[in-house]
Amino acid sequence: MSINRGEKSICLDLKKDKDLEVFWELVRKCDVLVENYRPGTMEKLGLGYDKLKMANPSLIYCAISGFGHTGPYSQLPAYDMIVQAMGGVMSITGELGHPPVRVGTSIGDITAALFGVIGILSALNVRYQTGQGQKIDISMLDSQIAILENAITRYETSGITPVPLGTRHPSIAPFQAFPTKDYFVVIAVGNDSLWKKFCQLLNIEHLLADPRFITNKDRTKNVEELEKIISQITTTNTTDEWLKIVQAAGIPAAAINTIDKVVKDPQVLARSMLVELDHPIAGKMILPGNPIKLSLTPPVIEKPAPLLGEHTTWVLKEILGWNDVRINSFITI
Amino acid sequence: MKPLSGITVLDLTRLLSGPFCTMTLADLGADIIKIEAPPHGDDARTNPPFKNEESVYFMSINRGKQSIAIDLKSQEGKEILFKMVKNADVLVENFRPGTMEKLGIGYERLAAINEKLVFCSISGFGQDGPYRDRPAYDIIVQAMSGLMSITGEEDGKPTRVGVSIGDIIAGLYGAIGILAAVNDREKDGKGQYLDIGMLDCMVAIAEYPLARYLIGGYIPKRLGNKHSAIYPWDVFKTKDGEIVLAVHNSASWNRFSKIMDSEIFMNDSRFKDNPSRKANESALEEMIKKILLEKTTREWIEIFAINGIPCGPLNTIPDLPNDPQINHRGMIVEIKGHKKVGTMKVAGQPIKFSKVKTNMFSPAPLIAEHTDKILKRFGFKENEIKKFKENKSIM
Repeated sequence: MSINRGEKSICLDLKKDKDLEVFWELVRKCDVLVENYRPGTMEKLGLGYDKLKMANPSLIYCAISGFGHTGPYSQLPAYDMIVQAMGGVMSITGELGHPPVRVGTSIGDITAALFGVIGILSALNVRYQTGQGQKIDISMLDSQIAILENAITRYETSGITPVPLGTRHPSIAPFQAFPTKDYFVVIAVGNDSLWKKFCQLLNIEHLLADPRFITNKDRTKNVEELEKIISQITTTNTTDEWLKIVQAAGIPAAAINTIDKVVKDPQVLARSMLVELDHPIAGKMILPGNPIKLSLTPPVIEKPAPLLGEHTTWVLKEILGWNDVRINSFITI
Repeated sequence: MKPLSGITVLDLTRLLSGPFCTMTLADLGADIIKIEAPPHGDDARTNPPFKNEESVYFMSINRGKQSIAIDLKSQEGKEILFKMVKNADVLVENFRPGTMEKLGIGYERLAAINEKLVFCSISGFGQDGPYRDRPAYDIIVQAMSGLMSITGEEDGKPTRVGVSIGDIIAGLYGAIGILAAVNDREKDGKGQYLDIGMLDCMVAIAEYPLARYLIGGYIPKRLGNKHSAIYPWDVFKTKDGEIVLAVHNSASWNRFSKIMDSEIFMNDSRFKDNPSRKANESALEEMIKKILLEKTTREWIEIFAINGIPCGPLNTIPDLPNDPQINHRGMIVEIKGHKKVGTMKVAGQPIKFSKVKTNMFSPAPLIAEHTDKILKRFGFKENEIKKFKENKSIM
């Protein structure tokens, strides 16, 4: 229910002729088709892109799969954790000196989905000009490589294999979580002027002239010693106390929220990032909102995830234009 | 024709979230005009490491863009921007909320010049709400959004995701918003304002952990590489390294247990279905661990792959260019022709279209590399450009 809100459901058995007829009729009338079967499945069903585009040349067909529709792994099964491991993200996530860990949310799936949406919207843009649709082939593994940020280039330049760094940043310091009296506080001293403010705040101004910590490069190189000095100070107060002090000085800082705290956060609430929906069976439920805040045409979230086949009649009537007699005979067979 | 050919983007962004957004658009053929502040430009140009004095970090997220340096604090600089806005489709910025207004180049002012303009702001917390004016970095929103609280070893500390996922996801949602607005514009010719907050985006991708709490009241914890409901699902040691395995349903469990040792595994009632396997995880783990140590990662992958069991090597960054699939898909590409650095390897572009190839990239620009060319394109004359330079309103 959390990832299917606002969708409509029609139930079709694509191995039955009668249902296939409906599918083909839909293909002729729709703008976009998205599927995430194992590569080759749609072809086996006789519904590959080459056939669909004959029925509707303006159709945009987006396939999302673990490894993509080409290449040696194309036919292998994949899950989020598999592509997190193969794509290198896991190898740089985890505690310093410990084994790699998975990112706690399924970013392998999620980033592939976001790239898929970008691909679909780009293809729509082409269609406005040429009238032609096309196929988009999104791979979860590709998407993991695309978000590696500076890891590849850092390795290419230095020859040093990037490893998990806990909460530390690879090239900025101090920029990490520090222990407090009761938990941790994240403090991000992103540049030299913030470093100066930070030293004044913690009464460690002597560090400003310490050759180990003068530039960000020095601080990153000697981050271990720096961490020791700062941790000794941060453990004297609670996280809340530190947040007040550090944020008031204009230095980015945060608590490490658990999920129950996130849903009470005043900013999250002020931005409508939690929405309440009424599900016909499950009742009222709260879900994450949509972060794309458009001024003229904002995203509207009002319908819960559909029940299986909930909109079969609606689809046949509104999209395909069938009359009641035809709909009834289709449903009752 | 590339998918976004003909779309002109004025890019006032710096550091990561905005540049990642406009790089994604550049990869798809949009014309990205990076407007930087003289004399140093994008702050990321000073981020280590460096190659021939150029920031590798900057170059990896600014490929395919053109650079012009304009002093937007000067009146002449603003006038230059206004003229460019007239003929642009999109403007993206990621300053602290209020900065564009303070400069006199906020959305209202620019929309009055070009009502078709799609104006996208990316910020830490969005343009409103109690944290609007607070500074943010990736690590701040990773911590506040709960992601850090669920990433890390089971009995270890909260851990940051090793890439700046807070910036990157905001960049991707920004690109989606921009393209949705550009599509919407086809209907009525009107652009609009788009407000992306990094914290919002992190909440939006919290999916399952958030749903579990909101619906079931369960506070998700760190699980290392384990799954909350499925086993075997973990990283295991092999003879020569590691393998990640995800045995997700009974069909793959049956195949998996045959490979391990059908006699023992299949007849043990402790492992008969997934809930039993999860409940008896530690006993099962011990048995699997021993067997997996007998062969190399490559040997196991071949065996599991034939049997359709989701698995893979735990690649480090140096492994990536050698991975046959990553290679085949063009996901590590060489960019040639950087004026100072020459050739460098970067991540490719993951959106593969059937009609067009989008895997040829030009390098990131030097600061102000394209100033003259861009100004001429927007209709400025040689003598005007010369005057702007003398007045130091451009570089």
